[in-house]
Amino acid sequence: MLAYLVNLTTLVAINVILAVTLNFVIGYAGIFSLAHAAFFGIGAYAAAYVAMHFTTDFLACVAVAMVLTGLVSLALAMPALRVRGEYFVAASLGLQILAVTVFTEWKSVTGGIGGVVGIPSPTIFGRPIVGTTAFMVLALVCLAITLAIIAALVRSAFGRNLKAIRDSESAAGAFGKQVALIKTFSVVISSSLAAVAGALYAFYLSFINVESFTLDTSVLIMAMVIIGGAGTLAGPIIGAVLLLVLPSALSYLWFLPPTEIGSIQQILYGLALVLLMIFYPGGLAGALTRGAGKDRQGDREAGAVKA
Amino acid sequence: MLLLQLLINGLQVGAIYALTAVGFSLVFGSTKIFHVAHGAAFTIAGYIFYMLTVKAGAHWLVGLAGSTVAVLAFGVLIDRLVYAPIERHEGSFFTVFVASLGVATIVQNLIGTMFGRGFVSVSTPLSKGVEVVQGVYVSPLVGISVVCGIGCFLALHLFLTRTHVGMALRALGENRDLVRAYGLNPRNLSTLALALGSLLVVPGAVIAAASSGLNPAIGAHVMLISIAATIVGGVGSLVGAACGGLLLGMAENLAHWGLASQWSEAITFVVLLLFIIFRPAGFFGSAIKT
Repeated sequence: MLAYLVNLTTLVAINVILAVTLNFVIGYAGIFSLAHAAFFGIGAYAAAYVAMHFTTDFLACVAVAMVLTGLVSLALAMPALRVRGEYFVAASLGLQILAVTVFTEWKSVTGGIGGVVGIPSPTIFGRPIVGTTAFMVLALVCLAITLAIIAALVRSAFGRNLKAIRDSESAAGAFGKQVALIKTFSVVISSSLAAVAGALYAFYLSFINVESFTLDTSVLIMAMVIIGGAGTLAGPIIGAVLLLVLPSALSYLWFLPPTEIGSIQQILYGLALVLLMIFYPGGLAGALTRGAGKDRQGDREAGAVKA
Repeated sequence: MLLLQLLINGLQVGAIYALTAVGFSLVFGSTKIFHVAHGAAFTIAGYIFYMLTVKAGAHWLVGLAGSTVAVLAFGVLIDRLVYAPIERHEGSFFTVFVASLGVATIVQNLIGTMFGRGFVSVSTPLSKGVEVVQGVYVSPLVGISVVCGIGCFLALHLFLTRTHVGMALRALGENRDLVRAYGLNPRNLSTLALALGSLLVVPGAVIAAASSGLNPAIGAHVMLISIAATIVGGVGSLVGAACGGLLLGMAENLAHWGLASQWSEAITFVVLLLFIIFRPAGFFGSAIKT
């Protein structure tokens, strides 16, 4: 039971990092990315590659993963953010689909469909991280650092600029803000922090393959953000915990065929997204704090972001 | 010879993409709904056709009628049950998009549980190629796709320019309030746009079922193609979307000249990114700047 909880906590920590970083662009910058799983994957493969060929030092692997992912996201964001939101959605969807192809086909680095097997345990300052408990602590530390960075950014002048751009780009532009630059920067920060989650994931499982980084994963992370409540700090955490506990709850329902549980989960996430958008566009965090979504103005502020 | 063969294949695929993209562009242009569940309509049409003709053994016309009815119902229902309530209270791009993505996810997984995740296809003598020149095979499906594509597009064009309802639909994209001021109901027009847009996927889905086959994840691919073609062609221009779809289909097939077929989606992405960098306005139409 304890081992189960340790495992669940580690996975929750990794997913909360993903949800919080995606929320940074969706909720605060009003940018819609469907490529978060691609960034997660690039981070994971980069960390695995470095660990297997050069050094198992965790910090070095994470640094490489972050820089590489940051560069890819920069290449996506620079052209796509000069124009309106729809273009970024399209471009990020394209990148996500392309990333899956690359993960499957670039066999010398990604191992193709079979994936990368036998990723060594990481070391920190020469000390190996062995055992699930030690790893859980590492994941929680990474989560705490990510949360601190995001929270500090949101409160800083940069975060206020972002929110200003989200609420009205033309107004922010009129005040002399470099709209495209600020948006691009926010995407790069979010993606490189998602790479941290990727590195953690690769080391934790010591095995990665393309299955974990598909469009379905992007939609799942987005569901975490939106079900929890975009644009709030607590929202994505609530969402990630809920959506990770749900599968374990589903496996207790004896009448569901085990092979279909994955699809049933996805159907439930999809349904939750549709129903929330109809009734509580602010997500659960928004619904709780704003009196069950009756206050429309409140909903809008809580997270129903305008493009 | 290979080049000619690839061009012919590109024409077939391009005609399908063009029609599908025009459907998406019609919905997006007139209602401003970023209808990513358009790919789901394609999946539904294809699988209903497969179910009726292969599983139930019905005549292909019955299959065609069945998938037409199914996508019409899908278009009308998604508009009435999902988009209408959202637009009533708020209706930002974000909210509508997420709901649409939710519907797409539901459809993909429902189809996956019902029919399995592998490829299915409808075999027909029409998809057998005939050697016209040495080494170049052309199947009747190529002609059918092109004729269907041109026919549907012309019919849509006539509908939008010659009938009152069609003109109202175009007006909806220009100025929603003015449409209401003229005593027309924008909600009913939206439903019509969704129904028409969904209807346009039927030929493509049926031809895809008979040629390259279907799988539940095809919706995501169709979604990418439709959005990319709309941007490449220029948002708000139906001719642009058609040209964009044709271009993407051609590019995808011509890429087989030097690349393995798995990379076709990469080509779509590269074309899309090049357009976003150098010509965000697309062929026709104007870029939506912020």
